[in-house]
Amino acid sequence: MFASIEQTIAQLRDQHYLCDRKLATVAFLALQMRKPILIEGPAGVGKTELAKVVAKALGRSLIRLQCYGGLDEAHALYEWEYGKQLLYTQILRDKISRLFEGVSDLHEAVEQLHLHEDVFFSEHFIIHRPILQAISSPDPVVLLIDELDRAEEQFEAFLLEVLSDFQVTVPELGTVKATTIPYVIITSNNTRDLSDALKRRCLHLFIGYPDEQRELEIVRMKVPALQEALAAQVVAVIRRLRALDLRKAPSISETLDWAQALVLLNADTLTPTLLEETLHLLIKYERDAQQVNEQWPWISEALQAPGSETTTVPAAIPLRPPLRPAESRTRPEPTAAGYFTSYPGRTDGRTG
Amino acid sequence: MPMDAVINRFVFLLKSRGVRISPAESLDAMQALAWVGLDERDTLRIVLRSTLIKAVRDLPLFDELFNQFFSRPKAAPAIESAAEALPPPHETAPEPPEMVAESASVSGQPDGDNAHEDALDIRDYFDDGSMATHFNSNQDANDLSLAEFGQNLVLSRKRDLLDQVMQKAMQVLKARRMKHGGRAGELNLSEAIAALDAEVITDAVMELLDELGDLGVDENLIKQLSSRLNGGIANLPELLKRTLERELALKPLPKLPDPNRRALPTLHFSEPERREMTEIVQRLCRRMRGARSYRRHISPHGRISVPLTLRRNMKYEGIPFQPVMTYYRDEKPRLLVICDVSLSVRNTARFMLHLVYNLQSRFGQVRSFAFVSDLVEISAQFEQQGIDEAIGAVFNGGLLDTDADSNYGHALSQFHQRYLGAVTQQTTVILLGDGRGNRNPPQVWALEGIRHRAKQLIWLSPESRSSWTLGSCDMPLYEPVCHRTEVVRNLQQLGRVTEDLLRRSVARP
Repeated sequence: MFASIEQTIAQLRDQHYLCDRKLATVAFLALQMRKPILIEGPAGVGKTELAKVVAKALGRSLIRLQCYGGLDEAHALYEWEYGKQLLYTQILRDKISRLFEGVSDLHEAVEQLHLHEDVFFSEHFIIHRPILQAISSPDPVVLLIDELDRAEEQFEAFLLEVLSDFQVTVPELGTVKATTIPYVIITSNNTRDLSDALKRRCLHLFIGYPDEQRELEIVRMKVPALQEALAAQVVAVIRRLRALDLRKAPSISETLDWAQALVLLNADTLTPTLLEETLHLLIKYERDAQQVNEQWPWISEALQAPGSETTTVPAAIPLRPPLRPAESRTRPEPTAAGYFTSYPGRTDGRTG
Repeated sequence: MPMDAVINRFVFLLKSRGVRISPAESLDAMQALAWVGLDERDTLRIVLRSTLIKAVRDLPLFDELFNQFFSRPKAAPAIESAAEALPPPHETAPEPPEMVAESASVSGQPDGDNAHEDALDIRDYFDDGSMATHFNSNQDANDLSLAEFGQNLVLSRKRDLLDQVMQKAMQVLKARRMKHGGRAGELNLSEAIAALDAEVITDAVMELLDELGDLGVDENLIKQLSSRLNGGIANLPELLKRTLERELALKPLPKLPDPNRRALPTLHFSEPERREMTEIVQRLCRRMRGARSYRRHISPHGRISVPLTLRRNMKYEGIPFQPVMTYYRDEKPRLLVICDVSLSVRNTARFMLHLVYNLQSRFGQVRSFAFVSDLVEISAQFEQQGIDEAIGAVFNGGLLDTDADSNYGHALSQFHQRYLGAVTQQTTVILLGDGRGNRNPPQVWALEGIRHRAKQLIWLSPESRSSWTLGSCDMPLYEPVCHRTEVVRNLQQLGRVTEDLLRRSVARP
C-alpha cells in the first residue's frame, strides 16, 4: 500500500526502481483514486518495468496483456469455450434426451429446452482472458495493458467499460463486476494517438529520458559491478548520443545492457576503441551509425572529462552536437524510370 | 478560498488556449488534489498535469500557464498591511491578487452556500503563507470567510457587471493614453479605476442583495452581508484593479507580424500549416490503420472457426466433418495520386503533395505522380527526402519541366501507357488539377481506362464549378468520367474530402 508520495518513492526504490516525484505522485494517485495510468514515452524508459515493480511493491500479482495488431476481445476479455460446450452436450446426451420424456410435440420440446439453455452459457464455459481475469480475481492485481497503440482503435472501445467502471458485460451472462479493483497500467509508445475517450479515463504520465544525475543513479543501482568513473563515462556518452538526431536514440534499457556488457568485458575505463567496439549495442540502424561516425570527435570528447561535465553542464542547457559541414550527397539519385522497374515498396520491412 | 473555483478558472484558461479538457477531467483533478498535500507547488503541478493534460504536445502550454497562474503572490503582504491601516469595518480580508481574479471569473457558481462550505473544507489543505490563502489569524474565521464570501459572490455572480466595469476601465485607459501619448504596454490602472463610476458598483451590490432575497437565503445572513458589503465597497475598486491586472497579465501579448516571414519562399510550410496537416494526417491514419477488418471471411485458408464449424456440422450430430475456416481480410485502401504541378494550381498542389508525403511516410501503398506535360513518378523522392526538399524538387523543375504548358491529355495517356498496372480493384485514384490543357487533345479515353480499373476515381479541382465552362477548360469532359469531382482550395477542404473518401473506401466490405 502506498501511503504517501514519499513512501511510494521509497517502496519503488526498494524494488530497485528509481523514480522521480512526478512518477511517484501519479502512481500514488492511481492507487487512491482507482484510476488507470496511461504511460507514454519512448521505448525502453521503464514503462513496463513500472508495472512490474508496482506489482511487487504492492504484493499483488501481475496480469499482462500484450497488445498487437488484430487483438480482439476474444483474446483480451473473454471467450466461450465451444469445444467444451460441444463435449458436454455429447456426454450429457442421455440426460438431455431424458428431458424430453413425456413431451408431446416439438413446440413443447423447445420450451422445455429453453428452460435449461443457460446451463451451457454459464461461468463453466467461459474462458477468462486477462482483463476478465483481472477484475474477477479474489485478490487485487496489477493489470498491465502493454503497448496499446499497437492494437486497433476498435479495441480501445472494448477497454472503456473496464477502465471506467471495472466491469465487463458478457451478453449471455450479464455484467461481471469487479470483486476487487485492479491497479491498471496502460503503456503506449506513441506511434498513434489514443482516443480521447480512453485518455479521459486515465491519469496521464509521460516518461522521458532521465537527466544525467538520475541516469547515473539508475546505472549504479542496476549494475553495481560497474566502476564509478566508468559509469559516469557511460552516461556522458549516452547523453551525447541522445543529443544527435538518431532514428533510435539509446534508451535506459540499452544503457543498462551496455553497462552490463562493459562489466563482462572487464573494462576499467572507456577508451575510444572500446566505445567503437561496443557501439552496436547502442546503435540499431545503419543510418544512425553513419551519423555517429560523423560526430565521432564530439562524442569521444565525453570520454575525456566525464567528471567535469556532470558539474558544469546544467540540465537546462541541452547538449547540441556541432553543426555538420554542408552535407555531400553520396547516395545516387534514383531516376524515375529505374525506380519504376525496381520499386521496392516499403523500406522498413512491413508488407501490406 | 474554494479550491474548485481556482481549478475551474485554470481549466477555463487552458481551454481558452485550445486544450481539450472534459468536465470529468476537471473533476478528477479536484478529486486528486484531495489526496495529496497542497503545501508544495510542484505536487500541485504534477497532479494537475497528469489529470488534465493528456497529450504530450499540450505540455509546454500547460507549464507556461501554470507558471503564470500559480505564481507566488509577491505583493500580498504589502496589501495586507495597507488594509489593516484602513478604518473599520475592514474585515474584508485582503486576498492575494490571483485568488480574486480566479474566483471572480468563475461564472456559474450554482449556489453561494455551497461555495461557502467548500471554502471551509478545502481550507484544511492549505498551509498558512503557502500559495493559497492568507488569513489573518487574529480575526474571527467565520466573520472573515463571510465577508470574503460576500465579495467573491459580488464578483462571481455578477460576471456581466465585471465585464462592464472592465470595459469602462479599458475605455478610460484608452482615452488617457491617447491624451498623454503614453507608451504602449504601460498601464496606469489605479488612475483608471479611480475614475470608475461608483454608481455601477453600488447598483451591483443592490442587485445582488435583491437576488439573494429572491433565492430565499436567510434574512439574517443578508443583513450581515449588506453591512459588511457596505464596507467592502470601499475596497471593491482595489479588488477590481487586481482582477484587471491579473486578466491583463494572462492575456498573451499580441504578436507582431514578423517582417522576415515574408522573405521566405512560399514553398516552405508555416508552423500552423504543419500542425493542421499533422492533425489531418492523424485523423486519416486512424481511419486507415484499422487495416485488418473486424469481419471474418470464410475461405479455405485461415483458421478454424469453432462456432461456424459447429453450426455447419449440426447435421452430422456435431461431429465436425466439415471444418470452416475464416480469416480477417485486409481492407487497407490503396492510394494513387496524380498531381498537376503547373503554376495555375501550384498552391493547392503544394497542400496535396504535403498530404501525400505524410501519407506515404506511413503507408506503403501510396504512389504519387506529378505532371505538367510529362508525367513522372515521385514516390521515390518522397520516400527518401525531407518534405521541403522533396516538394522543392518537384516544383523547381529538377524532375520535370515545370515551365512547359500543362497538357492533361499527354500526361493521362502517358499514365495509361506506363503505369496502368499500378491501378487495381482496391486503388483509389486521386487527380488534382484544374483541367486546363491549353487546347491540347484531352484524351478522355485514357481517363476512362483508369476509371475502369480503379475502385474510385476522384478529381480535385482548385477552381470553382462555375468557371469550368469558361476558357479552355476540359473539366466538363472529364467530370462525367470521374466517380466524384470536388472543389478543394484550402487545407480544411482537402482534409475533409480525403477523410470522406477514406471513410467510404474503408466502409465498403
